[in-house]
Amino acid sequence: MPSGGWRGELDRRLAARGIAPPRRDEIAAEVAQHLAEDGRAALDPGEAERLARALAGVERRVSLDPPVLGQQRQAFMATLWQDLRYAARAVRLTPAYSAIVIATLALGIGANAAIFSVIDAVMLRPYYPDMDRIVVLNEATRQGDQMSIAWPTFQDWQARSRSFDHLGLYRNTTVNLTGGEQAERLSAAVASSGVFGAAGFQPLLGRAFTADEDGPGAARVAILSERLWRRRFGADPAILGRPIVLSNDVHVVVGVMPAAMRFPSRLTDVWLPLGPLVPTFPPSRGAHPGLYGVAKLKPGIPFEQAAADMDTVARAIEQEHPDTNRDVTVRIARYYDQIVSDIKPTLMMLLGAVGFVLMIGCANLANLTLARTGRRQREVAVRAALGADRRRIVQQLLAESLLLAVIGGTLGLLLASWLVRAFVASGPVVVPRVDLIGVDGRVVAFGALLSIVTGVVFGLVPAFRAASADLLSAIRQSARGATSGAGARRFRAALIVAEVALALVLLVGAGLMIRSFARLMAVETGFDADGVVTMRLSVPPSKYRDLAKWTAFHDDLVTRVAAIPGVAAAGVNSAVPLEGGGSEAGVFVEGRPMVRGKAEAATLFQASTPGYFPAMGIRLVRGRYFTDRDTRGAAPVVIVDDSLVRKVFPGEDPIGRRIAFEFRGGGHGASTESMSAAAVWREIVGVVAHVRHYGIAAEPPYVQLYTPFEQLPTYYEERRPTMALVARTSLSPEALTAAIRRETAALDADIPVYGVQTMTGYLRQSTEQPRLSVFLLGGLGALALVLALIGIYGVVSYSVAERTAEFGVRMALGATSRDVLKMVVGQVSALIGAGLAIGFGASLALGSVMQGLLFQVSPRDPLTMAAIGALLAVVALAAALAPARRATRVDPLVALRAE
Amino acid sequence: MRRTPFDPPDRELKKGSAELLVLSLVEVRARHGYEIGKLIEERSGGALTFSIPSLYPLLYRLEKRGWIRGQWIEKAGQRRRRYYRLTAPGRKVLAAQRSGWRNFVAAINRVAGLDHA
Repeated sequence: MPSGGWRGELDRRLAARGIAPPRRDEIAAEVAQHLAEDGRAALDPGEAERLARALAGVERRVSLDPPVLGQQRQAFMATLWQDLRYAARAVRLTPAYSAIVIATLALGIGANAAIFSVIDAVMLRPYYPDMDRIVVLNEATRQGDQMSIAWPTFQDWQARSRSFDHLGLYRNTTVNLTGGEQAERLSAAVASSGVFGAAGFQPLLGRAFTADEDGPGAARVAILSERLWRRRFGADPAILGRPIVLSNDVHVVVGVMPAAMRFPSRLTDVWLPLGPLVPTFPPSRGAHPGLYGVAKLKPGIPFEQAAADMDTVARAIEQEHPDTNRDVTVRIARYYDQIVSDIKPTLMMLLGAVGFVLMIGCANLANLTLARTGRRQREVAVRAALGADRRRIVQQLLAESLLLAVIGGTLGLLLASWLVRAFVASGPVVVPRVDLIGVDGRVVAFGALLSIVTGVVFGLVPAFRAASADLLSAIRQSARGATSGAGARRFRAALIVAEVALALVLLVGAGLMIRSFARLMAVETGFDADGVVTMRLSVPPSKYRDLAKWTAFHDDLVTRVAAIPGVAAAGVNSAVPLEGGGSEAGVFVEGRPMVRGKAEAATLFQASTPGYFPAMGIRLVRGRYFTDRDTRGAAPVVIVDDSLVRKVFPGEDPIGRRIAFEFRGGGHGASTESMSAAAVWREIVGVVAHVRHYGIAAEPPYVQLYTPFEQLPTYYEERRPTMALVARTSLSPEALTAAIRRETAALDADIPVYGVQTMTGYLRQSTEQPRLSVFLLGGLGALALVLALIGIYGVVSYSVAERTAEFGVRMALGATSRDVLKMVVGQVSALIGAGLAIGFGASLALGSVMQGLLFQVSPRDPLTMAAIGALLAVVALAAALAPARRATRVDPLVALRAE
Repeated sequence: MRRTPFDPPDRELKKGSAELLVLSLVEVRARHGYEIGKLIEERSGGALTFSIPSLYPLLYRLEKRGWIRGQWIEKAGQRRRRYYRLTAPGRKVLAAQRSGWRNFVAAINRVAGLDHA
């Protein structure tokens, strides 16, 4: 054989094993020299193959080998850098393992960081300076009914309370900003000087209101939000002193508040002083004109002390004015609690859920890492016997898991930032401060901390296990094939139990949310939301004081809107379903005994044009809808809902009966005769379906009735409601709004149309929080299920592989593959059973957390528990079955020879 | 079915001892591969032999770890040879391995009762 022959052969084999060209030449040259010294002519193909394999092995192994010997005295940083370099190489050289670890951590940490970013913005970051000192106040009955504050009562609070640095009074309102190209409806607040003191922000420009502006005689001034100032006035620095027209009155701008000032609402764009309104406040303590209090506690005064202080004040007022204030007290709450109380249980539940997912992920990784270090254990043991430092071995293995955790954490943060952006873009209205949610430095710090903790958690246990192996036990073990010690087996059994338990708790939570949501979706709303668009009309009372003029404007507009091509029906109503609000009163029936304060039922009353019912799709049960003939001069009529019929006329025909919910002249005596004489009797002409008025899940015990718009309730004659225009249309909301704006402007250019909403949008909003919970918890539950499945599969695969020899012996001694399968499945089933038992226990214990989040479903719903338990048991067994079947295919001879 | 991923201990021990042998041989002066293989065989009385497929990967591993360094040297009248010399880290490793090995052998002897044999 020519000498070139074996060299070509060697070169091919080295190349096939991945040895790079310069190295190939060197080795060929060295081998050639060796052969020459030995007097041989050629390297035979078997040797060439073994050489190539061994070199490739060195290439792979040395990269992974930490230089554990003789380097104990190196400086820590140098060692760390070296460890990281080795770790990076290890990550590159074991791509499958690394990918699984990184993906698991990215999902786990990403979900945690995303939830944390929401919690941080909503609950952790202070909204205002010294927010823990800000409290909100209002009046309430001892029975718990919330009321706004009577003006004289507030003045007493101001004079007598001792706990506050600032005590302010405010009322939410809206104003029409006119004088520009287009009239605009703005969220506004009437606010006393104390409101600004309590919130604690310095104005961006100009000044806040002063105490002088809290009393009568104050000038009409206004403070703008930074947002409005930028948007409408181009951030004009000369805005101060400029007059603007708000709801037909000229106001002088005296200040601009920074964007951080979001009190009373983040939508507030204009603040108006209290003073000009004071003369309009009723002097009675029994009248509650929509005013609410906000205060800042004096430094060092605890909340409880302020509450006791206000209770003393309220009791004194109660004694001085028993006629109006009997059983009336004050409700004081931390402002922070008030903001977060609705969303807090959901966020806490989600935080728990993502924590569970991460724990399941960590359990998987601990097992995976344990198995992987197990493969290097013998080698590490020999090295340790040869003088390697244990601390160094642990450090090296830890560096590897930390590196993976940091990569996973970084990807997780990217994932979180993407998730959070998508979440914020979806515009959830139930989450306060949603505009402030984002992945910022604090979230990154949280993610980093989580990465390090998880890296240590999933890396430390296996690292110590590997490092603590000593040579003698390693030698002993190798004599029996590679089986883990009892400690490792117990550890893996515990992993299965923990994963099943964690996954069960999460899945039960998700199952309950889904069931609850299904119940919610099945609620009969009483209207047909498809194709219905609603909007509000702000008709300024000063310009339309005359009732006929006010009514005519709405009637004309309805006629014009109904004529728009594509509009099937149109009407106005004093309320919008699901939106809440509106007015309530007691119902009395003609011919029955009447007792003041003892109505037949409490009812919501609304005023509607005939077109409202077909436009909203409210089903007629009996009788008729309103018609154009139900005018002011005609006989007063009323339409009631079926819940009123059930409550007031059980078993009777309500059509033709007369009912009243208003009394002329205010005072209406106490006897049936005097009350009947003062009552405004209306004849029932129709019965319609009950409409969910206060939201889908909430259902206060009010029945419902409607009066014709032209036969407006006297209550509304005094305080005109902002009417909602409702249209059933095939047009898009945008096209319809544009058309309606045109028609409105044709009647009166100063009337803004705002609050455009589709009824399907209202529906979505009304179910937003449960929808979010279902979506998020369902997603996390699915993730947990998949992770648990992977985890159980991994653990069972590993222990089956480890016990090959044992199975071989058993089968050699006569066990059938069925017996082996039964044994493995039996052992895994016991672990799954234990996990399910613990999980059920935890679910029952955690039930109270879910209580407030569920609709018509018990947090201990046995059906959900059983179904989820069965699902998890099946999935877990399936995950165990595949590797267990492998155990049955062991060839006894092969297994024993492997010894 | 996959066999246990561990190496049998005799191979591990042999590998550990082989490193020690090579490092010892290049401690005082640089030697080339053929020379190293031959010296091990001679000095062990033929008990330890290193064929081409086991010797060169071993040298490569030690070099890759930075314990020895190889260099092509051409001397007059001789063919070009690659000589290996001990590096500073290699010297430390050798010292550690020597004492480790001493302890190990002593331990084995104590456990196996070879002291009294």
